[in-house]
Amino acid sequence: MKKTLALLLAAVMLLSLSAVSLAEEKVAITMWTYPIGAWKDADTVNGIVAAFNEKYPNISVSVEYLDYQSGDDQVTGAIEAGTTPDIIMEGPERLVSNWGAKGKMVDLADLWTEEALKDISAVSEAVVAACQLDGKYYEYPLCMTTHTMAINYEAFEKADALKYLDQDTRTWTTENFELAMKALKDSGVAHTGIVYCGGQGGDQGTRALAMNLYSASFTNPEHTEYTMNSEAGIKGLQKLQDMVNEGLLTADPGIVAGDELQLFANGTANMSLAWNAANAANYASQAQFTPYAMAFPSDDGVPELAGGIWGFGIFNNNDEKRIAAAKEFIKFVSDDPVQGPKSVFATGFFPVRASFGDIYTGTEKEANKEFSVFMPYLGDYYSVTPNWPVQRTEWWNLLQRIFAGGDVKAEVETYINNVNVK
Amino acid sequence: MQTTVQRITPYRVLSYVMLFILAVIFTFPLYWIVTGSFKDAQAINAPAPVWFPTNPITTNYARLMERPAISWLLNTLFICGMAMLLICITATMAGYAIAKKRFACRALIFSIFVMAMALPKQVILIPLLKEISFLGLHNTLWAVIFPTVGWPFGVFLMKQFSENIPGSILEATRIDGAGEVQTFIQIVLPMVAPGIGALAIFTFISAWNDYFLQLLMLNTARTYTISVGIAKLQDEMFTDFGLIMAGAALAAIPIVVVFLMFQRFFTRGITMGAVKG
Amino acid sequence: MQYTLTQQARQRRRRENLVGYAFMLPSLLFFLGFVIFPMGMALVTSFTDYSMTTFGFVGLSNYIRAFKDAVFIKSLGNTLVIVLVSVPLVTLFSLWVASAVYKSSQFTSSLIRIIFYLPIVTGTVAVTVVWKWMFNNYYGLLNYVFKSLGIISSNINWLGNPATALWCIITILFTTSIGQPIVLYISALANVDPSLVEAGEVDGANHMQVFWKIKWPQIMPTTLYILVITTINSFQCFALIQLLTSGGPNNATNTIMYNIYYHAYKLNEYGYGNAMGILLALLIAIFSFFQFRLAKSDNE
Repeated sequence: MKKTLALLLAAVMLLSLSAVSLAEEKVAITMWTYPIGAWKDADTVNGIVAAFNEKYPNISVSVEYLDYQSGDDQVTGAIEAGTTPDIIMEGPERLVSNWGAKGKMVDLADLWTEEALKDISAVSEAVVAACQLDGKYYEYPLCMTTHTMAINYEAFEKADALKYLDQDTRTWTTENFELAMKALKDSGVAHTGIVYCGGQGGDQGTRALAMNLYSASFTNPEHTEYTMNSEAGIKGLQKLQDMVNEGLLTADPGIVAGDELQLFANGTANMSLAWNAANAANYASQAQFTPYAMAFPSDDGVPELAGGIWGFGIFNNNDEKRIAAAKEFIKFVSDDPVQGPKSVFATGFFPVRASFGDIYTGTEKEANKEFSVFMPYLGDYYSVTPNWPVQRTEWWNLLQRIFAGGDVKAEVETYINNVNVK
Repeated sequence: MQTTVQRITPYRVLSYVMLFILAVIFTFPLYWIVTGSFKDAQAINAPAPVWFPTNPITTNYARLMERPAISWLLNTLFICGMAMLLICITATMAGYAIAKKRFACRALIFSIFVMAMALPKQVILIPLLKEISFLGLHNTLWAVIFPTVGWPFGVFLMKQFSENIPGSILEATRIDGAGEVQTFIQIVLPMVAPGIGALAIFTFISAWNDYFLQLLMLNTARTYTISVGIAKLQDEMFTDFGLIMAGAALAAIPIVVVFLMFQRFFTRGITMGAVKG
Repeated sequence: MQYTLTQQARQRRRRENLVGYAFMLPSLLFFLGFVIFPMGMALVTSFTDYSMTTFGFVGLSNYIRAFKDAVFIKSLGNTLVIVLVSVPLVTLFSLWVASAVYKSSQFTSSLIRIIFYLPIVTGTVAVTVVWKWMFNNYYGLLNYVFKSLGIISSNINWLGNPATALWCIITILFTTSIGQPIVLYISALANVDPSLVEAGEVDGANHMQVFWKIKWPQIMPTTLYILVITTINSFQCFALIQLLTSGGPNNATNTIMYNIYYHAYKLNEYGYGNAMGILLALLIAIFSFFQFRLAKSDNE
């Protein structure tokens, strides 16, 4: 075993040394992308691949596009059939804590050069932490964003509720949030906001809301345990239950974020809990009002927002040539000073590298800058805690039980019992 | 005139009224899909139902064609057509044998066939996936076709149809000196023709809709089927209903055509009276 | 003489075996290769902790876990409700539709067959999208119609209410399972030997008697097929749940099949998923056994 490992290592070193021979040999690699901004559009991605091939004509890249509905099943199938792609584009909860933890991914430590580490750390240490597990890097990040909420600006104006929010920092306190909901309700609005809990789609929104109301932490800092049974956590969930009972919020166990966004866009609901730059762009043409991005309300006025970190991972297909070629592609797409910002621009999110600076000013996506104000509120990336897929299901089940009138404290204990690894 | 009036009983009227109401409910989804495929985003997401596209657009179809929807359709047609052909041959032979041939372990084999139907497909998919990939068939259309042909529904259906073939006819043919193959082709096949027609349609449609098997077996846009392709049009955070409706309409049309073609076979009755006269 | 007879019989039996298996062969090849073999593997893995990373023998613990799993028990109950409601409903209703139209003109009977088959040909994903909109709490068609008719005063959250969600699933399941039985019953009824019916009528049997005494026994194989298929389909109801409710609210629509999918594909607990699959198969086998029994006793 040791011998083969040593041999393998030697082979890797030989290969990486002979980059020249790599350039001469033709290598075909495949990449699967989840729908991250325009990375779901063949036109955009073909352009990126073409730019890559100008520099590396001997590496051909074929791309397949996944979706969030069926993508995980497809990857599961590919892993079991041994037909995984070389490169996969998604976030740490899949690349690191799912497939990485299961030993299916390649350690990307050599992509994380000192320069990259410094550049990325300058934006957020949380990104660096999220991309690794037990000292191995399973993701090389490209872009990030914060998940926020949004309000119907005109509806708030009409209800005279704008005074409850701080339009400079886009934040509000829990107290003011409640007042704003009362004002909205009094103005005759049927649904202020809808706390959706019919499935896992967009659950980061409901988590962020429940957490921030009283500044609870979703997990412990080491990401080994879920902690919504803290006093602050229970208080936040209790507040949600109370507000729903008073009609200040609507709870709906029949819909998920995608439906809620639709209801927000057509004016049925006056807030969305699942907002970000990509959704703002998607719904821009439908909304007959101004969707105005806001941070989640927090008792101390300092929100902690959930982040999305997207980047690349490499499946271990035991083919050193293809792994090396895949790394070249990732380096080019993420690090190249010309291509890098373009790759991020396609996502509609923000660069994880400080050196890329502001990529939206003066472009057709200028509107995305609205979201840069939230970057300082980026919170801990807790989605890498063990048992994450179980937690996601248990979370919306917990909300369903609470909104059906369950005792908050008891229900939270049940939830914690089901999700923490014993 | 008199006779037709007599036939209209209250029961019949009630039946037809009920049938009509149900027909509306059953037709509605397809109506909504077809009209929806011509609606723009405003109309399709409107809070109050827009019953008919007032200013129809075709951009939904144009956008659908940008994806290789036609090649998805061709893949699906190949899978369904091939599965249909193979299953009609194998199941008709096997169904006839189980119903009419007294070979050893016949009852046991039939029970295994029925038991196998009871097992949920999802359970065998992971082992099947390993087997298919071992055979080097993963991500080929055969990876979907072979398991579909193996599924025992067809044998069960054809056994039920073959039960109705009178033994006396078979006996008469045998005495006339016809061989087994000749008997099967000249006597059995025409008698179970309605069954084959039904089996052909059921296979075609269930293969068409067997989304999960296709999803796990097919990996590239080149090999996708229309159901996988359409499912992929759904986004987690943003549903482009117009595009999905266009895809669904495109997927439904070929099956309706197949249905119209094959359903003629159904009523061609089994000639049970052949030896009686 | 005696000797030659047994030899003849033996020869004949050998011939039947040979011919029988020759006819079975193509079907058996596919069946053994792509169904029985993976099925055997599934059975074996149900006694292991098979996942993406582990594969070790754990005895019966997956099965024991299932019976201690409150969600599994709940999903078992929901599955039984679906089966016990939809199987009789689908069978009786399709028989009613078929007997109402099988004597009609070619055109009418074709039309009926097509209409009731439409939800199936339209595809589950697409039909579900439409139904999801119809059941929508805020602007769905159902609330819209019921409110305009004055049947309800405020919107009902059909899929969000544990009391109604399962019935919504059963309704959609009904519309997508009725087509095949109607098609089969129409052709079965059309194939009933007309001379028998005439003989019955001559003997003075009324409509009902002709139906139950003459037609019903003749269409028994079809009924049996429909019963078994509908039972299996109802037991294996899954796609609707995945697309509409993910098993909620409060597990009110969770079925065994959805549970299997969740554990096998979302959590990669293949061993546990397969154990639940085996339990489901046993349950279906028991149901089918009784249906065969019922059909047999009815035939006599």
